[in-house]
Amino acid sequence: MTIDGGTFARRVRSERWRLRARRLRSTLHQFGRERAGVLGVIIIAVFSICALVPDLLVGPFETVTKASGESFEPPSFQHILGTDELGRDILNLVVHGARISMTIGLLATIITVLVGAIIGIVAGFLGGRVDTFLMRITDFFLILPTFVLALVLAPVLREVLGESAQVGGIRITLLVIIVVIGITSWASTARIIRSQTLSVRERAFVDRARVIGASGGHMMRRHILPNVTSLIVANAVLVFAGSVLIETTLAFIGLGDPLAPSWGQILAFAQDSGAPGLGAWWYTAAPGVCIVLVVLSFTLVGNALDAILNPKLAGRR
Amino acid sequence: MGSRFLLRRAGQAFLTILFVLVLNFILFRSLPGSPERILLRNPRISAASLEAQRERWGLNDPLLPISVVIDDRGVRLEDFPASLTDNQLFSYLVATAQLDLGLSFQFRGRDVADVIGERMGPTLLLFGLGEIIAIFVGLGLGARAGWRRGTASDYLGTGLSLVLYSMPYFWLGMILLIIFAAELRWFPTSGMVTPGMDYASPLDYVADVAWHLVLPVATVALGLIGQYSLMMRSSVTEVLAEDYVTTARAKGLKESRILRHHVWPNALLPAVTLIAINLGYIVAGAITVEQVFSWPGLGTLTVDALRTRDYPMMQGLFLVLSISVVAASFLADMVYGFLDPRVRT
Repeated sequence: MTIDGGTFARRVRSERWRLRARRLRSTLHQFGRERAGVLGVIIIAVFSICALVPDLLVGPFETVTKASGESFEPPSFQHILGTDELGRDILNLVVHGARISMTIGLLATIITVLVGAIIGIVAGFLGGRVDTFLMRITDFFLILPTFVLALVLAPVLREVLGESAQVGGIRITLLVIIVVIGITSWASTARIIRSQTLSVRERAFVDRARVIGASGGHMMRRHILPNVTSLIVANAVLVFAGSVLIETTLAFIGLGDPLAPSWGQILAFAQDSGAPGLGAWWYTAAPGVCIVLVVLSFTLVGNALDAILNPKLAGRR
Repeated sequence: MGSRFLLRRAGQAFLTILFVLVLNFILFRSLPGSPERILLRNPRISAASLEAQRERWGLNDPLLPISVVIDDRGVRLEDFPASLTDNQLFSYLVATAQLDLGLSFQFRGRDVADVIGERMGPTLLLFGLGEIIAIFVGLGLGARAGWRRGTASDYLGTGLSLVLYSMPYFWLGMILLIIFAAELRWFPTSGMVTPGMDYASPLDYVADVAWHLVLPVATVALGLIGQYSLMMRSSVTEVLAEDYVTTARAKGLKESRILRHHVWPNALLPAVTLIAINLGYIVAGAITVEQVFSWPGLGTLTVDALRTRDYPMMQGLFLVLSISVVAASFLADMVYGFLDPRVRT
C-alpha cells in the first residue's frame, strides 16, 4: 500500500484530533466525579447567564433618573433585594454588576495568564542568562506588595490617560483596573509555568525535535505549550478568583467607575451612603454574596482541576 | 546561620527597596506637568515654602543622571553629565534617606513623614493583634483538619475556611458591623475612642480602645484564619504522606507524639513562607477594614489620600508599606533559615 504525502498528513491530523477528543472526554469524566468542582461550574454558569443577558432577566439598567422605588426600601415582592439610597432596585444593580465584574475578571485573567505563560515558557525553555534575568524581574514582582503597587498605579494611569476616554468600547477607568491587575499578578503564574516547562524540556520528544532542526519558537509552540496548557488552565481559574477579589477591593476604596458599577463599586456606594450603620443589610449583603459565590466557585473548580492534574495529591485526600 | 546566606538575602531586600524608590520616583514624575503642577496647584502652600520645595527637590536640575533621546534614529542614551549627583532622582533618594517625604496637601502642608508616623500605631495595634490571633487559631485549626482529614469536622472546617477565604475582608467587616454594632449595639460602629470622652484613669482609656478594637480585630483575624487554616491543612496532608511519618507509626509511637514531633514542625515550614508572602495581601485587607470601621490608621489615610489626590502622601505611603512588606519577607527568610538548615546555602 502506498500513501501519498497529503493523505498521510490528513490521517495524522485526524488521529491527533481523535486523541485530543478522547483526552478531553476522560478529563471531563474525571471532573464529573469532583462534586465540589461541579457545583462550582453550575454557579459560574448561572452568573455567566446574568453577565450575558442582564436585560432579559431584570430589565434595562436602572440609573439615578430611572429609579423604580423609594430610598432604602427593605426587600419586598416588588423589590426582591430592596432598594439603594437613590431608590434603584438592588436586584437590577447586582445582575447588571455581574457583567462588569465578570468582564473585568476575565480580561484581567487573560492578561495575567498571557504574560505569565509567555515569560514562564521562554525563561524555562531558553534557560541561562535569559532565565536568570526574567526570574529576577519575576521575584521583584513577587516580593513587591502588589496591591499597594496597584493602588499607586491606578490613579497615576488615570491621570495620564484621562478619565473619560474609551478604548474598544471599554471605559478607560475599567481598563486601568484590568491592566493594573494584570501587571501586578502575572509573577506567580510565570513561576509555576516555568517550573513545569523545565521538566517538559527534558523529555525525549523535545530532543528529537531539536535533532531534526526545529527552531526554538517552533518547539515552544508545538512541544512545550501543549504540555503546559492544562496547568495554564488550572492556574487561570484561580487567577480569575483573585482578579475578582482585587477588582472588588480597588472599586471599594474609590478606584472603580461609578457609571459602570461592579459588585465592588455597589459595596462602595453602600459604604458611602452609610447603609451598614442604618441597618440596610440588603444593600451590603446582595453584592457581597455574589462576590463570595463567584470567588468560591472558581476556587472550587481550580482545586478540582488541581486534583485531576496531580493525582498523587488527590489520593492523599 | 551562614553569613553568606544572610548577606545575600539582605542584598536582595535592599535592591528591592531601591527598585521601589526608583519606581516611586518615575511613577509620580510621569504625571502630566508634575511635580510643578502638583506643587503649584496646592492652595495651602505659601510662596516661600514653594521656593524652598523647588530648591530642596532640585527641580531646576535634570530628571535623571542620563537623558533618553527618542527620534527617528531610534532610542539612544545621551548627555552624560559631569556629576552623577546633580539630578532630581539623586535629590529624591537623598531626601527620602533623610525621611523627608514632602508636604501633604490635605493636611495643610504638614510633613508627610509626621502624619504617617502618627497613623502607624493604630494600624500596628489592629493588625498585630489580628495576625497573632489568626496564626494561632488558623494554624491550629488547619493542622487538626489535616490530621483528621475526611471526617465530618474536617469537611465543615475546610468548607468554612474556603468561604472565609473567598470573602473580601471589608465585606466581612461590614456584615459584622451590621449585626453587632447597628442591630445588637454591642460594639461601637467607628473610630478608636469614644469622641469627647474624659477618662478617669489610663485603664479606662485602654478599656475604651479595647471595646472599639473588638470588631475590627475580629474581621482581620477571621479573614486570615480561613487562609491560614487551608494552607496548614494542605501542608499537614503533604507531610503525612512522608516516609518518616510511616516510620514513626511503625515504631509504635503515640499519635499525639507523631503529630507534635514529626508532623507539626515540618508542616510549619511552608507556612512561614506563605505567611510572609501573604503579608502583601494583608496590606490590601488592612486598608479596606480600616475604612469600614473608620479606624484612624494607615489604611484610612491611604483612602483619604486617594480621594483627595494627595500625591505626596500616596508616594510616602507606597514607600512605607512596600518597605514593611519587604522587611517582613526578609525576616521570614531569616526565620526559615533558622528553622530549616537545608536552605542556608
